[in-house]
Amino acid sequence: MWWYVGKRLLQTIPVILGATLLIYAMVFLMPGDPIKALFGDKPVNETAVQQLREQYNLNDPFLLQWLKFLQGAVTGDFGQSYTGRPVSEVVANAFPVTIKLAVMALIIEMLLGVTAGTIAGMRKGKLFDSTMLVTSLLVIAVPIFVFAFMAQLVFGVKLNWVSPTVGGDASFQRLILPAIVLGLVSFAYILRLTRTSVAENLALDHVRTARAKGLSDGRVTRVHVLRNSLIPVVTFLGADLGGLMAGAVVTEGIFNIPGVGNLAFQAVQRGETPTVVAVITILVLVYVATSLIVDLIYALLDPRIRYA
Amino acid sequence: MNNQTPLLEIKDLNVAFSTEKAVIPAVRDANLTVYPGQTVAIVGESGSGKSTTAHAIIDLLPGTGKITSGQILFEGKDLIQASKDEMVDLRGASIGLVPQDPMSNLNPLWKIGFQIKEVLQAHDVCHGKEADARVVELLQEAGLPDAEKRAKQYPHEFSGGMRQRALIAIGLAARPKLLIADEPTSALDVTVQKQILDHMDHLTDSLGFAILLITHDLGLASERADHLVVMYKGQIVESGPALEILQDPQHPYTQRLVASAPSLASQRLSSVQARAEVREKAVQTAEEVAAEVAESSENFGKGTDTIVSAKNLTKVFKLPGDRPWSPTDFVAVDNVSFDLKRGTTMAIVGESGSGKSTVARMVLKLLDPTEGDVEFDGVDISSLKRKDLLKFRREMQPIFQNPYASLDPTYSIYRSIVEPLATHGIGNDDEREAKVRDLLDKVSLPSSVMRRFPNELSGGQRQRVAIARALALDPAVVICDEAVSALDVLVQAQILELLNDLQAELGLSYLFITHDLAVVRQIADNVLVMQDGKVVEAAAVTEVFTNPREEYTRKLLDAIPGASIPLAGTR
Amino acid sequence: MPENTRPGQQRYVAPLEETPLQEVDQLDTSAPPTSLWKDAWRQLRRNPMFIASAILLTFLVIVIAFPGFFTDEPPRKCVLARSYGPAESGHLFGFDRQGCDVFSRTLYGARASVAVGVITTSLIVLIGTIAGAFAGFYGKLVDTVISRTADIFFAIPLLLAAIVILQVVTNRFPDRGFWGGVSAVVGALALFGWPQITRIMRGSVLEVKNLEFVDAARAIGATPRRNLFRHIIPNAIAPVIVTATVSLGIIIVAEATLSFLGIGLPKSVVSWGNDISAATILVRSGDHIQVMLIPAVALMLTVLSFILLGDAVKDALDPKARKR
Repeated sequence: MWWYVGKRLLQTIPVILGATLLIYAMVFLMPGDPIKALFGDKPVNETAVQQLREQYNLNDPFLLQWLKFLQGAVTGDFGQSYTGRPVSEVVANAFPVTIKLAVMALIIEMLLGVTAGTIAGMRKGKLFDSTMLVTSLLVIAVPIFVFAFMAQLVFGVKLNWVSPTVGGDASFQRLILPAIVLGLVSFAYILRLTRTSVAENLALDHVRTARAKGLSDGRVTRVHVLRNSLIPVVTFLGADLGGLMAGAVVTEGIFNIPGVGNLAFQAVQRGETPTVVAVITILVLVYVATSLIVDLIYALLDPRIRYA
Repeated sequence: MNNQTPLLEIKDLNVAFSTEKAVIPAVRDANLTVYPGQTVAIVGESGSGKSTTAHAIIDLLPGTGKITSGQILFEGKDLIQASKDEMVDLRGASIGLVPQDPMSNLNPLWKIGFQIKEVLQAHDVCHGKEADARVVELLQEAGLPDAEKRAKQYPHEFSGGMRQRALIAIGLAARPKLLIADEPTSALDVTVQKQILDHMDHLTDSLGFAILLITHDLGLASERADHLVVMYKGQIVESGPALEILQDPQHPYTQRLVASAPSLASQRLSSVQARAEVREKAVQTAEEVAAEVAESSENFGKGTDTIVSAKNLTKVFKLPGDRPWSPTDFVAVDNVSFDLKRGTTMAIVGESGSGKSTVARMVLKLLDPTEGDVEFDGVDISSLKRKDLLKFRREMQPIFQNPYASLDPTYSIYRSIVEPLATHGIGNDDEREAKVRDLLDKVSLPSSVMRRFPNELSGGQRQRVAIARALALDPAVVICDEAVSALDVLVQAQILELLNDLQAELGLSYLFITHDLAVVRQIADNVLVMQDGKVVEAAAVTEVFTNPREEYTRKLLDAIPGASIPLAGTR
Repeated sequence: MPENTRPGQQRYVAPLEETPLQEVDQLDTSAPPTSLWKDAWRQLRRNPMFIASAILLTFLVIVIAFPGFFTDEPPRKCVLARSYGPAESGHLFGFDRQGCDVFSRTLYGARASVAVGVITTSLIVLIGTIAGAFAGFYGKLVDTVISRTADIFFAIPLLLAAIVILQVVTNRFPDRGFWGGVSAVVGALALFGWPQITRIMRGSVLEVKNLEFVDAARAIGATPRRNLFRHIIPNAIAPVIVTATVSLGIIIVAEATLSFLGIGLPKSVVSWGNDISAATILVRSGDHIQVMLIPAVALMLTVLSFILLGDAVKDALDPKARKR
């Protein structure tokens, strides 16, 4: 197992370095003047331009710029947002809300996705399975913001079950609807994945051996099918977190939730590149870290890796 | 229950599978009886319905399989009428199963001990700590050393033989009266196979359960069973006492089986004589070819008598060790040398891990040796480049084991056979087509097969195509790497006959890699026995069979199933 | 021996008429020849998912090529006075906020969305297949370089990366027009979409390269490169095809989300993403919902047909169905 762990840890370092370099390059290597672009439509003030150049290290050679950026990222200094407060502070305030939202979404999508997927996989070809399949396809085929707005309209405005926006009070009740919307696409993927995994596992030899032992159907499913089927789902979760973060940008924006995604959303609307870069860099670092943790959990779950 | 009442009676059983288009019968009107404490064997090739019958007994038919009519009486009660709960109680406690493939039949995520304990708990034999102790006893009983430690391990930490023992322990855990053993040893090495079967015999004696043994190996069946049932295409064609069937087979199919089963055929004087004739002709033709080669300067090689000479071949692989920075050395082949004379066949025999396939790949120059050289017809092949290398490739061609992987599924048969000609730029389109037709004719396939694709052919037919492809360049040497191991017995016999005929006709020399010593007698003149990368014994075939020098060779010979059965026309 | 006289175990030989012998290993010469691809095609033809998606996609192609066939109204003819006007003859679904014909805009909008989908997927497949094949086949240094590079790109979630790139692009090039907009979106999505295909192809190549027909080709004298392109890639590419068709659909959805964020195709371009997001403010009030729903349904049907196609192709190429 240590082979696997060591290799995985070692991989993370070049990935972090490369990813930050990539983000930096994408923004600052673009044709055109980055500083002028920061002003957008507003008139350009030359002294301000020089100040900003200094502030963003744009007078330094590219690699040095990146290293200073990296240094800032590591120490938590991402410069200042347009409101004057340090970006890191703003992000730190917003993070807990996003974590709450994301965890809720994860729990909902996992519970529903795995349950529905298991039943569908066991009854492959039957009505429940076909219904679930069609549902999952429809969910994937519709952009998340459409769901968000429709949910707002139906449950928030028309039926008035929940308040349409969240605003300052990010309590569990208010976050339920956005969490469901956020987890919707992932739910569809998890359902499909579990379904395929269960259906495949049911046909495997060792399941037949389990039955031949005289184990009840229930036990065979619980002990010999489910656990084996869930391993690919765990692997999927690692990649899914990235999708959740992207989805959070849209969801928090629409439901007006004071989280990190909303920060990014507002910054994108206002054309505030530095904030966008800062927020996304933080999100990427978080994603790399959680991917690593998920991979390590996978190593613990699969005895073929744990006791290799 | 005395010994005169049948334990299991199958009466007029019919099993069918439903596909989209039709209902396909898999077993038709099968009748079978097993008495308590008896070993009954069902023998048949793939598609005979033997496994289907066995699985039907405990209602574990795969996919769309259903019993359409008949009775399965176990201790007088018809299992087909039994409720689902009754079947669940019956499985494991009254009828146990030892399944075929040890690699895929254990759940990789649970410990071995857990998987055995499940049986005990499900049938209320014992629970908790008592069950844990019982699990260790059961593993010891199945012949697994160090049972207490092993019970806490996972399947991937076990070898194939060990896993099979674990499966036996699972099958016997609840002390069933009948054990269904579905090809319990076909995936294992010959010596391990013998150990496990001997052990099972011993268990039957001490515990008194009956065995229904499913196998494709007639020799094995007659060695281990008292009563034999022969199945062909879903029907029982012959049944009776094992020895009687072997010595006096009445149904034409059984006669075919008895004539072709290698373990039995290799006993016969007639097959030894047949081989000698083939060799004579082959050597003669080869000498003519050699004379031609020696004269012309264009051909590759010098025209000597020794067509392949391996000298001190060694191959060391670097494998990841405990720490990422210190790989361990694995010596796959250790100082192997041999000479292959024109027109003859040398067999390299060994169990898995013996290094025999690695030797073949080095001779084919698909793998470079760590030390040692290979000489082809007097030319050292290690330093060949480009044009010379291409010339060498024309002289030596392989036939591989897995018929389902040796042909490119996206290539038509024609394209597969013509590829060597196209790669070497031989002939124009018309000439190539003519050559392909000729080759298909040599391997007894109709030329209409050219437009077909591999997925439409059976394993044996694909091997014929592989042989045709190997012969396309008119090679002098053909390396057969377990070329018949994946085939059914009768098909195997056909292919061996084909190989012999081609050798006599074309003066080919064969390097025949196999784990099956029984096959060797029908096809080879000289044998190299390998174990753990080293040569254990090298001698002529006749000598190895009558007078083996080494302990390991004797073990291999002993392990040939059915070797000890006296047949008509054997010595 | 007493055993052989017990009932049920006497010597039995089946009569030959009931159990006729066939030739060993007989070849069925009657059936017409069929290859793996033909087999897959035949299975596809019978699959309702495939038929449904094929019909939808054919319809889509017609709409893209000849939108004028379905409507006379040009998509940009927007008369403010008709704002939110109801459905009339010739204007199936009424008018949007600017007074443009909803139906017409939806028909013409297909081009932009599908262009993004098709071009991005083509790029991803091209890059991913070659990169994955080389990584899997040559191994060692080539594999390390390609795989680590893929890891780096993979570490940034697709949409987040697209947000960064397109946010900058939108700031600096506000007047980029149709092809500028499409190139930007395609570039952003393709740049971060290729690693997935690379990984799939690499895995597939690793499996295929150990199959015996590859060794047989080497023994014939085929050069490694010839082997790679003629034997390995054709046999390894099936999972890529399946994933690519599904990805196409997902990319079209992503484009819509980017347009909603204001950084997808520029607002001047007629696209589903733009129309849907422009109409979302309606949702607050709940009136004139069809202005959002029509392009949304069009998008959903298009994406659905690609995903259904992918699923159907996956079932048809299933290796478990290959062996006879």
